[in-house]
Amino acid sequence: MVAEIYWGLPVIFYLFLAGLGAGALTVSAYVYLRGNGGAFGEDHVTVARYGAFLAPIPVIFGCWLLIFELGSFQVGDWFKWINLYLVINLSPMSIGTWLLTLFIGTSLVYACTFVPFMPMLGLNREGLKRALAWVNVPLGISVAVYTGVLLGAMAARPFWNTPLVALLFLLSSLSTGTALILFARAMLPGKGADAAAKKGFHHSNYLLTFSDTLLIGFEIVAIFLFLIFAYLTVGDVRHAISVIMLGGSLAVPFWIGVVAIGLILPALAELYYVVPKLVYHREFAVPRSIELIVPAAVIVGGFMLRYVVVIAGQITGPIGI
Amino acid sequence: MKDQTDISGVSERREFLKGALAGAGTAVAAVSIPKAARGAESGTKTRYGMLIDVRRCIGCQACSVACKAEFDVPLGKTRSWVEYVEKGEYPNVSRSFLPRLCNHCEQPDCVDVCPTGATFKRDEDGIVVVDPDICIGCKYCIQACPYDVRFINPITGTADKCDFCLHRVSQGLVPACVESCIGDARIFGDLNDSHSEISKRLATNPVSVLRPGMGTEPNVYYIAADHADESDREKGQHVRVTTHREQEARR
Amino acid sequence: MATRREFLQLGAVTAVAGFAGAPALTAARELRFKGNKGFSPKTGEERKAIPSACWQCVTRCPFVGYVENQRLVSIGPQMNSIRTEGHLCAKGQAGVNQVYDPDRILYPLKRVGKRGEGQWKRVSWNEALTEVAARLEKLRDDGHPEKFMFHYGRMKASASKLIKSVFLATYGTKTIGNHTSICEGGKWTAQELTWGSHYDNWDIDNTRFVLNFGSNCLEAHTNHTPIAERLARALVDRDVRMVTFDVRLSNTAAKSTRWVPIKPGTDLAVVLAMCNVVMEEDLYRGEGENFLEFCKVTAHPDATVAEKVAVLKSHFAQYTPEWAEKISGVSADTIRSVAVEFATSKPACLLSYRGAVAHENGNDTERAVQTLAAITGNIDNPGGRCKAVGASWKYPHGPKDKPKAKKLKILDGFKGEAAFPTHHMSHHVLKMIKDGRAGRPDVYMWYCYEPVYANGAVSENIEVLKDESLIPYSVCVSPFYSESAALADLILPDATYLERWDWEDMVSPSQVAEYYLRQPMVAPLGEVRDFGDVCCELAERMGFPLGFNSKEEFVRESCEMTPGVKDVGGFEYMKAQGVWHDPKAKPKYYSYRKHVKLEALAGDGVILDDATGTYWNWHKSKAKSEEEAKKKGYAHTKNAYKGYVGQQIGTSTYSGFKPDKVNKSGYFEIYSSLMEEKGFPPLPTYTAVPSHETMRSNELILTTYKVNVQSHSRTQNCKWLTEIYHNNPGWINPETAAVLGIAEGDTIRVTSAIGEMETTAKVTPAVIPGIISVSHHCGHWEYGRYASGNKSPMASDDDPDLKRKWWVRNGVHPNWIIPNNPDPVNGQHCWMDTVVTVAKV
Ligand SMILES: Nc1nc2c(c(=O)[nH]1)N[C@H]1C(S)=C(S)[C@@H](COP(=O)(O)OP(=O)(O)OC[C@H]3O[C@@H](n4cnc5c(=O)[nH]c(N)nc54)[C@H](O)[C@@H]3O)O[C@H]1N2
Ligand SMILES: Nc1nc2c(c(=O)[nH]1)N[C@H]1C(S)=C(S)[C@@H](COP(=O)(O)OP(=O)(O)OC[C@H]3O[C@@H](n4cnc5c(=O)[nH]c(N)nc54)[C@H](O)[C@@H]3O)O[C@H]1N2
Ligand code: SF4
Ligand code: SF4
Ligand code: SF4
Ligand code: SF4
Ligand code: SF4
Ligand SMILES: [Mo]
Repeated sequence: MVAEIYWGLPVIFYLFLAGLGAGALTVSAYVYLRGNGGAFGEDHVTVARYGAFLAPIPVIFGCWLLIFELGSFQVGDWFKWINLYLVINLSPMSIGTWLLTLFIGTSLVYACTFVPFMPMLGLNREGLKRALAWVNVPLGISVAVYTGVLLGAMAARPFWNTPLVALLFLLSSLSTGTALILFARAMLPGKGADAAAKKGFHHSNYLLTFSDTLLIGFEIVAIFLFLIFAYLTVGDVRHAISVIMLGGSLAVPFWIGVVAIGLILPALAELYYVVPKLVYHREFAVPRSIELIVPAAVIVGGFMLRYVVVIAGQITGPIGI
Repeated sequence: MKDQTDISGVSERREFLKGALAGAGTAVAAVSIPKAARGAESGTKTRYGMLIDVRRCIGCQACSVACKAEFDVPLGKTRSWVEYVEKGEYPNVSRSFLPRLCNHCEQPDCVDVCPTGATFKRDEDGIVVVDPDICIGCKYCIQACPYDVRFINPITGTADKCDFCLHRVSQGLVPACVESCIGDARIFGDLNDSHSEISKRLATNPVSVLRPGMGTEPNVYYIAADHADESDREKGQHVRVTTHREQEARR
Repeated sequence: MATRREFLQLGAVTAVAGFAGAPALTAARELRFKGNKGFSPKTGEERKAIPSACWQCVTRCPFVGYVENQRLVSIGPQMNSIRTEGHLCAKGQAGVNQVYDPDRILYPLKRVGKRGEGQWKRVSWNEALTEVAARLEKLRDDGHPEKFMFHYGRMKASASKLIKSVFLATYGTKTIGNHTSICEGGKWTAQELTWGSHYDNWDIDNTRFVLNFGSNCLEAHTNHTPIAERLARALVDRDVRMVTFDVRLSNTAAKSTRWVPIKPGTDLAVVLAMCNVVMEEDLYRGEGENFLEFCKVTAHPDATVAEKVAVLKSHFAQYTPEWAEKISGVSADTIRSVAVEFATSKPACLLSYRGAVAHENGNDTERAVQTLAAITGNIDNPGGRCKAVGASWKYPHGPKDKPKAKKLKILDGFKGEAAFPTHHMSHHVLKMIKDGRAGRPDVYMWYCYEPVYANGAVSENIEVLKDESLIPYSVCVSPFYSESAALADLILPDATYLERWDWEDMVSPSQVAEYYLRQPMVAPLGEVRDFGDVCCELAERMGFPLGFNSKEEFVRESCEMTPGVKDVGGFEYMKAQGVWHDPKAKPKYYSYRKHVKLEALAGDGVILDDATGTYWNWHKSKAKSEEEAKKKGYAHTKNAYKGYVGQQIGTSTYSGFKPDKVNKSGYFEIYSSLMEEKGFPPLPTYTAVPSHETMRSNELILTTYKVNVQSHSRTQNCKWLTEIYHNNPGWINPETAAVLGIAEGDTIRVTSAIGEMETTAKVTPAVIPGIISVSHHCGHWEYGRYASGNKSPMASDDDPDLKRKWWVRNGVHPNWIIPNNPDPVNGQHCWMDTVVTVAKV
């Protein structure tokens, strides 16, 4: 079995981290653009800043993991990955390479625009930030989608070979990206000195949490579609999906790790806090422990999703010969 | 612009890859290269293929070892192997053999996904090759091949697989696995030459390819292959597929 | 050096050039290009091609080796061989691994510490040979050269002639053992009793139907590749039908038109029943009836064909298909229909091998098989069972005056154990030494032989070899650290077959002899030396130079002496071409029908034996005088067969079926007076395997078999082969497994009268109920890291694949629990008879 896994933990982490960063950047840029016009009030910049600072880190780290994982790197050809830049073709990996490169570039510059003392070489800081935000929304979404397309492109891997994987990865990216921002905000002190700032903080957390709940809802729908379509199909896909169904070798990580920890429990917890505010306009007040645990669970779930999908795709193939 | 249909030499291809850097225009055009190599509509180009007459295959593994020796393939990796398919209930039991290698597909998924262009289908003869000087070992092609014929060569760190013994074929020799085949079960030749042995046999025998549903259009054909799979066991029949590879299960 | 990339391009360029008109590529596009060429996939450069011959199994196929930078890189088929017709099996190609086995022994090793303890010291050849020569000289000078026992396994052609006929003969010992009784000696003896010389060739190319009892010729067989490639072709191109009787679905059975499962040791019943069908239904008429003229069927040599038919009809009447069904489990209908198909498809080929003969009733099984072929007229005819044709080399015989050689009577088992152990009883040699009554060797040397692993009763073999009081001094000649090498006092590292010279002579399935050569691919590694060369030096040291200084010289001289070979250019020609056959030679059939010339009958010492109708030359026998010869008669004069001249049949004298090893007449003897005299039924007669008669219901029969990618104990160090085959679970039929409560993959214990072993169960419908089948080749505890995981002394680590070895299991060896049991007629080891119990652990 082991011999069959060509893409192991480094790739799984990479897919997860790229999605995480892409999600965080998209959320950051989106919130920034919605800005005052949205419901975030003044806090939008803070939220955007969190996202902006966080986003490049997992992506860059993930890319390095990917490079370490290359066969060429492992035999000592340390810079052979440069060959990726010698060609542009329709390979999702080639597209991904360019996207990620662009992503890393724009996200870094975007992050810089949030650093007050960073010299802007005579550029208009706000203008640049806004322009980059406009770029980063589609770019973040593209990176998130690409991680799914990378897997989905192959008929040889029936488990992956559906657009739902890309959709699922996109939703998960946005959800984990949001969770990352929530988590960081909970981790780092300084909810604001005055009451208004506090209120803003909680309000934007509410908005973020609410969006996350929605995203999780969509994810659950996407997973349902994934399973039901696979189940209704005869042949390869149905066969492949059996590894995550009851009794399958990946049933536990899938149902516990992805569904329970990553989706159902956070969704319930989030609803528990969101609904009173949403329906009864009560105060949105979340204990700090929950503020940390829920996004952490979402992030773990996001990782487990990559794990299960990447492994499941590799241990199943077309049936028949 | 360069003649995109001609990708005969890798160095030419290299130049072109460099060109790709120069401007998006050329670069995007690069996409069309593998496509251009597809389809032997011209009819004059060579299209190498193999026909494996399973009736004659005695499962002797001479092909597996010939291939191993020819390329000194490291232990644990295989370019060529033979699967044993045992099925039926006592005393009506059969065992047939399914020699496996790269199909040199007409629509090779491995080529489509390769981000560096290291894997490509040679225009002049249809052989799908990996250029180890370009390949970075990302393993994408390994995932994409529906036949599990690719692996990372632990010595070069690059993707590896059967190359139809390009180095022999270009010298007028048949591939190593064909040369020693005890059953003369493997016929190698030009599919586009209607006088070649392989064309003649293809024309006069019912043949099949593996996993036709993958849409890869293999250029390795089989006569009388047993397509039984372990999944047929669900239908209540005893089926045992043995691959004799480190990856014991067929994928 | 061109880079790979340039090369990919180079390929393209030449390919295009080729199509422009170079004939080479047109050939490639067409059939196989008969090139005997190789190129490097890395550089594209042409590799040096050296024609030679394989030795991975007894078949000894000609091949071409390819050398790059003084390193052997691959081995491919010899396109010009009429035997293999340009094919080479997996084992042959993996020969590369033999040379570069990191666990090879490259220097003479001398034991330090206790025997078998695994402590060794490297010594020089001078030291080693001084020691050996001193011991041998002492034995000879004391008048006991026979106390030097030489035991070989696979020693053929020039190696056999140089070592046995020249070196050992000049030294003066005849205590020379072989391995034939654990191989197929029983089949050979049965053939000697029937048609004389002991090797049959199956004329697959001309046959229309193949009937097979216990030959796994598509995976094994002593002429494997030549037979297999022809059979594969016959089955598909000529729609030849083939029916295989085997206890399991071997690959041969799988490729046959039909597999007939049969209970172990009951082939005799089925064959006799087929003889019954042929006689009852008058299917002998035609070719069979004609052939009966050359057969001895009654005690009287001059019986008419009609009388013979009557005898056969009455003898076989008892063996009805219904009777055989009860014994063999093969339905009477099947027996009848297969018999009819066999008898009516002319010509048809009757195969038999170890599955049929390695049983206690194996002798008569083979005699019955011969009989069935005879009464259907399928003996020595195109498309039938033919007399083997091999090369007849001339060679230098060494010193003229050889001493009268002496021997210890330990080669043929205990007195009375077998009536005709014409190929000795190898598996009892160590037992005889343990027993000691017939004497013991002072020096026991083995060569290309594995006394520990290859015989049954492994623990007893170890016990004897380890005991210094039983064997004072032991020498193993081998390139590898085998289980027995580990028990030697001295290991002389032999050159592998890829580093030495030989001429070869294995029989040709085309009935035209092929002459071929073995030559070194590379210079011998380390300090290894071909044992042939070592013999030359030992002889020199002991004062009887052989007249040539090396095997190479011996081979060269042979080439210059041998008619045909010498005419085309001798040694130089053979070195360059590797193979030669006489292009004008016609395939040999019906040699028994040749009339003996009157001059030959009138020769000095030639007399007619009235009792048998045999002309023989008493000078060549042990008879002292013509009177004595006449009085004792042909049958009872020792070595009379050596003077055989011809057989009188009716009014003519034919060359007939020339005897070998026993004083059989020139008839094809279905009726054997020799057996009758020893108290056995003269006509092929049913006896059951005694131990199978008394089996209890919970007992199974253990059978063993060979697989296509391994040879004996000898190829498991070849990483490319052992990667493919390294584990050998016991095959058990689902029905039997259910009764025993065993499931696929369960660990099971197999217990016989002499021991037990643990293995896993492979529950498969590809084996008959009531048996467990365990292959040979696995379960090594020495033989290096690829075979057993254990490193041999002073092994190197320079093979990068060592760290990529991925298999952890190396299976089990059934010989621990298979007792050494001889066939009472011929002494053959009864491999397939062991009664065992099997239980889940
Ligand atoms: N690959 C390979 N080839 C070899 C060798 C090798 O080691 N490996 N060794 C060479 C040598 S020295 C020899 S002697 C030959 C031997 O060649 P074979 O005699 O053909 O081979 P075996 O495997 O010894 O036995 C043949 C078959 O007998 C079957 N059998 C067992 N019991 C019975 C029975 O009671 N009845 C019947 N009908 N079948 C039975 C076994 O299942 C097996 O398939 O092969 C030679 N060629
Ligand atoms: N269970 C079971 N046992 C069997 C059989 C079976 O089918 N099943 N088959 C039987 C048969 S048919 C036979 S013929 C015997 C064969 O028995 P053996 O003739 O003993 O053959 P091997 O087992 O190959 O052992 C030969 C030894 O020669 C040594 N050797 C290898 N190459 C060379 C070389 O180049 N030079 C020298 N000097 N030595 C070398 C190696 O140490 C090797 O162990 O085994 C028999 N044993
Ligand atoms: S078999 Fe696989 S590796 Fe070979 S051409 Fe087809 S897709 Fe590519
Ligand atoms: S491993 Fe090499 S050949 Fe395969 S897709 Fe990656 S770069 Fe291309
Ligand atoms: S064509 Fe060459 S590379 Fe391909 S399987 Fe055969 S021997 Fe191996
Ligand atoms: S060499 Fe030929 S006969 Fe032997 S397993 Fe391979 S394809 Fe089959
Ligand atoms: S049959 Fe195979 S192992 Fe035996 S001599 Fe021929 S090539 Fe070598
Ligand atoms: Mo043998």
